Amino acid sequence: MSRRIMSVIGLLAVSAVLAAGGVGFAASAAEDVYNKTTSALYEKAKQEGALVIYSVWDVEHLVKITEAFSKRFPGIKTSYWQGRNPEIITRVMTEFQAGQGSVDSILSDNAPPVLRAAGAIMPYETVQKEFLILHDPTMPVVSLQIQALAYNTKKLKPADLPKDWEGVTNPKYKGNVALDDPMRAGPLSTQLAALKALWKDDARFARFVKGLKALGVPVHKSTSAMFRLVISGEYAIAMPALLHDVMSEKEKGTPLDLVKTVPPIVFARNAAVYAKAPHPNAAKLLGEWLISPEGQAALDSVGREASRKGFPSKTSIDSAFGPGTKAIGVQDKLFLEDPKKWLDTNVKPLWEG
Amino acid sequence: MIAASVLVAPILIVVFRSFTTGRLGVSVGFNIEGYLRVFSDPQILSMLNNSLVYAAGSAALGTGLGAMLAWIVARTNTPGKTLVELMPLYPILMPPIMKNIAWILLLAPKSGVLNSFLRESWGIEAHVFNAFSMGAMIWVFGLACVPLGYLFLLPVFLSFDPSLEESAYIAGSRPMHTMSRITFPLAIPAFLSAFVLNFLRGLRSFETPVLQGSPGGIHVFVAKVYDAMSVDFNPGLATAYSSVLIFLSIVSLLFYIRATRFSERYATITGKGYRVKIIDIGKWKYVTFVAVFAYFLVGIVIPFVVLIVVSLIPYYDYETFMKFPANIDLSNYVRVLNHPSFLSGLYNSLTLSVLIALITVLTGIIMAFTIYRTKVFGSKVFEVVGTMPLAFPPLVLSLGLVIAIIGTPLYNTLWGLGIGLFVAYFPYALRNASGAIVNIHKELDEAAWVHGARWRHVFFKVTLPLLRPTVAGALFYIFIESLRNVDVAVLLVAPGTEYGPVTLFEYFRVGQWAEAAAGGVIYLIILVVAVSVAKLAFNIKFTL
Repeated sequence: MSRRIMSVIGLLAVSAVLAAGGVGFAASAAEDVYNKTTSALYEKAKQEGALVIYSVWDVEHLVKITEAFSKRFPGIKTSYWQGRNPEIITRVMTEFQAGQGSVDSILSDNAPPVLRAAGAIMPYETVQKEFLILHDPTMPVVSLQIQALAYNTKKLKPADLPKDWEGVTNPKYKGNVALDDPMRAGPLSTQLAALKALWKDDARFARFVKGLKALGVPVHKSTSAMFRLVISGEYAIAMPALLHDVMSEKEKGTPLDLVKTVPPIVFARNAAVYAKAPHPNAAKLLGEWLISPEGQAALDSVGREASRKGFPSKTSIDSAFGPGTKAIGVQDKLFLEDPKKWLDTNVKPLWEG
Repeated sequence: MIAASVLVAPILIVVFRSFTTGRLGVSVGFNIEGYLRVFSDPQILSMLNNSLVYAAGSAALGTGLGAMLAWIVARTNTPGKTLVELMPLYPILMPPIMKNIAWILLLAPKSGVLNSFLRESWGIEAHVFNAFSMGAMIWVFGLACVPLGYLFLLPVFLSFDPSLEESAYIAGSRPMHTMSRITFPLAIPAFLSAFVLNFLRGLRSFETPVLQGSPGGIHVFVAKVYDAMSVDFNPGLATAYSSVLIFLSIVSLLFYIRATRFSERYATITGKGYRVKIIDIGKWKYVTFVAVFAYFLVGIVIPFVVLIVVSLIPYYDYETFMKFPANIDLSNYVRVLNHPSFLSGLYNSLTLSVLIALITVLTGIIMAFTIYRTKVFGSKVFEVVGTMPLAFPPLVLSLGLVIAIIGTPLYNTLWGLGIGLFVAYFPYALRNASGAIVNIHKELDEAAWVHGARWRHVFFKVTLPLLRPTVAGALFYIFIESLRNVDVAVLLVAPGTEYGPVTLFEYFRVGQWAEAAAGGVIYLIILVVAVSVAKLAFNIKFTL
């Protein structure tokens, strides 16, 4: 008996060693692919000599990220232009129609899918796809927009919090919810697209939207201003908030926290390559590097959420919500490419009807 | 004609786009589908109603208050002359969005400083003030409209032939009666110029409606234009919605042209020699001092103090606000001063703003001179063309500009950005010059014509020197405005070009109010010091 037990333990030990070796081998194989790819891209990018980025991200973040990129890959001159999503879409599409090769990489969330639908994006699939929480075969997902339900800790006690997204529609929160406008291409409409796809239950979705409407609260067209009003105590709940905003405010001692029982909604932030990019290899190299542990560390240093599975970061889902938390992804193609049409079809009849 | 062409190109492009449908990047036919969508939209009437109330209310408050301040400064013996001249200038330096944020923090129903104070100190639970109401929107945007009213009216009051008022005094009229029956009616062209501009600014303004209107359930028409751009990505539809604003602009301009059609009636600068007379308003001079001081308080001091405190505390809520200065925190200033393009970006924007102010004002005067002093065929059309850019929301206008210069060597250069700023601010220069030229009697020109002067002699030797006060005010205003322009500039800034306003106001755009307040405070201190030094040390008279 004891011999049998011993042999089972022995077999398990051998299997574990082999498995660990296998994982290690797989990881190292993936690393090799990454290294080979980036080496090849770097050689071509050096000949291109420059990289132009259009982004919705803060200038301070862009400076730090491009500095880290230039340090890792010398010889590529980086420059950037920062605008909001509608401005990025307007500028890129105007340049695209005019045949202008002015930008290489578009670092943003809402803009790339819309641009892709218009043919202004050059498809590129990252070689690191198995490490990503969300993968898009045409545009590297370098970071995530993570939505959370946040609340003002001076205004609500933990016992009074909603347990899930639908809990927000409870009439007891009337007057306390800062609600993003669901009819604009903002965080709440993104959330609605994610929940509709997850639930696959039209009646439940309709109850949710009508429940939000029944709160009778005014809607906000500026998410950031809405977030400030929750911090100031004008409202108790931000529906919804962005995780990196919440974490950065918590660090300052702001009376704000997450409702951890409410599952996060995740939305891709891409480094898309422009269809007429004058420096396409530099743009691809940027996408690959941002997904690598080194690039993710650069993103984390400015408070941007990592897109790489298991990446240790204060804005990761695991550390903010607890290990094993399942996120809800936004992958509705119609919503991503034509939010207006999706909203008119799925939300407008419920919201305005 | 050159200026008109520069203005017309982007306008024609966006008007053409209004007859196309489909999103950006989609090839589309020429049709009126956009207009059909606009005029069958059931929401536009109520939104338009809100827009009209908001724009007219703000323009009336701002222009009226500006006119009153200009009269006090120019014509009365209010004590503390230097201080009284300076006090109305400083609020001009404060960007409207800073005022929005400050007044929201003061007037928010539950968390605002004032309501919280009333609740905590007096036990008043009712929300006495509401930042998210039409009244508060008009108050805040109205305050932002005061500078234009002040700068447009001040030159008129300063170049006023006092013989008309003297006649009233001889006939036994009192100072206040004379002011309301003689002085102000003669300033109608300049007043209407400023009112029309402020009204159009109100119609297309988006920050106050977004920050203060939406949370109160007040939706304005221009939101439709922005939704068409930012949700639909359909500039054709956005321009079709803008056509309603264009129509309202034309109506207000026609109203202005009709109201001032007998321009000789308003000529206050005539061939007779005169000296501006300061009116002794007796004990009222203390009231006028208090009025100027009160405007100084609400126009800059109170919002500025709120922003200074907010920039120095970790976050805003009433409890934290009231703990100041025990909880002072300089991290926002450290962050702003370490901003990668905070200082370097200022160089480009300062240079460009000075140039744009000079070119725009000079061109505005030439166009106004052509309209009112020459018989060039069709010159009245310039009046409409020159004001038209103001009817377009900035993002739509910016798109027209990009399309106009893309593919030319101007694209992605500071020159292209300069053209954009010129188009955006030309309406201010034109309206300012038009209002002032109407106040100069034609007999001065005619005297020069009779003596054989050519038009350029008349313009440079007669009209331009008489317009000097107007020129100074317009230069100052356009310089300050273009120094902080983001909305039109944003699409025209080349990658890698550090442009001050875009980086400086980035914090406002991304909603980091504490950092934005710190950036705004630094920006304001620089401008206030510059204005004060220029005014006091070099005796530069911005408006006199």
